[in-house]
Amino acid sequence: MFRDRLDLPLVEDATGRFMVWIMAVMVYLGIMALAGALVLAGMAERWENGLTGRLTVQISPQPDDLGRGIDTESVAPLVQRTEVALALLRATPGVLRAEAITLAAAHKLLEPWLGSALPDDLPLPALIDVDVGQNTQLEVPALADRLARSVPGARLDNHAAWLDDLRRLARTAQLVALAVVLLVGAAALAAVVFAVRTGLAIHSPVVELLHIMGASDRYVARQFQAHIVGLALRGGAFGLALGLATLALLHRAAGAAGDAATGMLPAMALTPHQWLALGAVPLVAAMLAAVTARWTVLRVLAALP
Amino acid sequence: MLSRVNFTLRPGSFHFLTGSSGAGKSSLLRLMYLGLRPSSGTITLFGRDVATLKRAELPALRRQIGVVFQDFRLLDHLSALDNVALPLRMAGAAEAEIREHVVELLDWVGLGEHLDAKPPTLSGGQQQRVAIARSVINRPRLLLADEPTGNVDDTIGMRLLYLFEELNKLGTTVMIATHNEALIGRFPHPRLYLDHGTLTVMPAGMTPSAAPPTPSPALPTSLTASVVGTGWSR
Repeated sequence: MFRDRLDLPLVEDATGRFMVWIMAVMVYLGIMALAGALVLAGMAERWENGLTGRLTVQISPQPDDLGRGIDTESVAPLVQRTEVALALLRATPGVLRAEAITLAAAHKLLEPWLGSALPDDLPLPALIDVDVGQNTQLEVPALADRLARSVPGARLDNHAAWLDDLRRLARTAQLVALAVVLLVGAAALAAVVFAVRTGLAIHSPVVELLHIMGASDRYVARQFQAHIVGLALRGGAFGLALGLATLALLHRAAGAAGDAATGMLPAMALTPHQWLALGAVPLVAAMLAAVTARWTVLRVLAALP
Repeated sequence: MLSRVNFTLRPGSFHFLTGSSGAGKSSLLRLMYLGLRPSSGTITLFGRDVATLKRAELPALRRQIGVVFQDFRLLDHLSALDNVALPLRMAGAAEAEIREHVVELLDWVGLGEHLDAKPPTLSGGQQQRVAIARSVINRPRLLLADEPTGNVDDTIGMRLLYLFEELNKLGTTVMIATHNEALIGRFPHPRLYLDHGTLTVMPAGMTPSAAPPTPSPALPTSLTASVVGTGWSR
């Protein structure tokens, strides 16, 4: 309704079309960067939840285990050594559960890489999955030391290095995404300033007339605000639609990859709140555009008597 | 550009402002409608010294001044009705009230049939009547017109001046800048004569050649100002 009677003929300006496109692209880029950051944060959290509180003991096969016995006296067979390790772990305070991973399970883990027909004499290490809960007082280095002394070839992995890498990767990616959002936002706002200043220059006779007639600066600013918000919302809706379409496409691609039993790609899952956050991007963009337009007009008009 | 300009307009008075082209008539009007600030001197509008007002107070003061331009300065993308409604909308009036007042006023200036017409489809005389309606819709206390008859023929010019007289009778102080001596001769109003930036006040019927300066008594709208340079920077 207000649009129909804007005192300034802004609707006819060529800058309008350009603003819609700029806003569409900016909102699209903003949504993609934000979605990327959210998905990464989700992945990192899931990996971390899966890995903290867990230890893995790996007992490597020794030459004897391979059936080429050179020194049969010195080392017990792998199965026995696994039992020793299990007993040691279960007797350690702080360990909630310790289970050996069966050969069949180990084969399944390797299947994606080596196929289903694994030779029987493949020298696989024995693996023990250890659950130590969240707030355990367990001294991991001491336990590692004891294991290594009692069980030849045993190595304790608490995934710390892997988790640190993961955290660093996630944090860096999030910072990059944030930087992209900030840059895109700054560029969009610069475009708004440019469009508003152009509009003020094109329509300076009308602006001056309104000023003489007693229009307050805020009255003139409101006209630009209304115009810019309209353009930003139109562009934003377009950018949002394009962004959601892209995410849907990526979601499907990730889903297909997940189905291929590799288990490498976690699902691109976003919570309802995160979807809402993505949907709010065009609204936030329009709001910022309105504030910027207002600020620009007020600054320029301050030069009038 | 203007110097030693010193005069006072009595409320409800009617003055012509004359002088050769480039004498500074438009600058003087701009000073009066607050489109320009004097580089020195004092402008008192409705009893208030403009220099002492904050910038935020000026729009309300401007809304008490109606301005008519030679080139009409209507907004071509708006209907006659919306053009005339502008000052009311700026003042924040309600839409229903706006429509009622605007329709009534456009009827009064003889444009009741052209409410929805866009300015480019109207004749010069019609456009100037829309502009006059716009300038008085707010019931201004002071009406300033800069060569209002410059772009219309003499018959229309006469009719416009009768319109200004009507408004003056309703209590509006009127000042019309013009160099149409034929028109001025038909209306018995005093004139302010501007020559090389200096102003002389002459009673009705007197021409610039025989001009004894008349001191005016100090009354609400007065201007003692000089201006160097014009325009606002963008």
